[in-house]
Amino acid sequence: MSDRPEATTRSGPGRLLVAVYALFALAAGARAGVQIGTRFSEAPVAYLLSAVAAVVYVLATVALALGGRTSRRVAVAACSVELAGVLVVGTLSLADASAFPDATVWSGYGRGYGYVPLVLPVLGLVWLWRSSRADGEATAGKPATAGEKPVSAGKPATAGESTGDGSRAA
Amino acid sequence: MTNALATVIIVVSLLAAAHSLWSAWRDRAMGVPHLVALGVLEVLLITQAVVGFVKLSGGEGPHGSATFVGYLLAILVIPPAGAGWGLLERSRYGPGVIVVACLAVAVMTVRMQQLWQGTNV
Repeated sequence: MSDRPEATTRSGPGRLLVAVYALFALAAGARAGVQIGTRFSEAPVAYLLSAVAAVVYVLATVALALGGRTSRRVAVAACSVELAGVLVVGTLSLADASAFPDATVWSGYGRGYGYVPLVLPVLGLVWLWRSSRADGEATAGKPATAGEKPVSAGKPATAGESTGDGSRAA
Repeated sequence: MTNALATVIIVVSLLAAAHSLWSAWRDRAMGVPHLVALGVLEVLLITQAVVGFVKLSGGEGPHGSATFVGYLLAILVIPPAGAGWGLLERSRYGPGVIVVACLAVAVMTVRMQQLWQGTNV
């Protein structure tokens, strides 16, 4: 399915992922902008969290869309922070509702957004992992960049592991 | 904001989403019909923005209108962004992007109706 010669994070299913991330960057950013611009003093913690969420979504969107080696690390970090954020804020918002008088994207595990904020970082991390294996195979013949610890190229065991690899190698 | 226009926008965006889903299902890349559908949607959204601002300036609409105005403007970005991002992908995931964009427009329009009517805020 994703047996494209250059399996970067933005092509194939990744394009869909970037689209959804961009949408959430827009949603969280607009929400934070309105909240902070109009009534910041009411719930500063919730509104700052909205802003943090927006920054994380923007980072993930840009990193996934660029898809280089550094971007890949940034994307992994952003998705991880996002997953931690939605779990922590989701739990806190349910356990101590008074601390969150107004909703953020991550409140109630992203309930207000169809739980997409909970699913998205998981999909993002799975996609980064899968596409890094594919990239590792594609660049296996090239020498690794000096000084960088290649995430995928150093794992020869992954080459030829999945069934779709024969067609790409040929 | 008018209910009739909002309904038209929701129907058109859902039809465009269904059409794009069908293209993705058949493993087709994005083509002219997808662009036309997004163009129609964008024209409708611009009309909605104009009508919305006219009505807001006439004193109608929701109480704190900042969120509503945010939706009114943010939704304009989605069809062109979806078209551009989808065109770059010459596979079934191009129309897949359009599905996401159109569903987002439909959901945002429903949300705007709720804000306008002051229900479920």
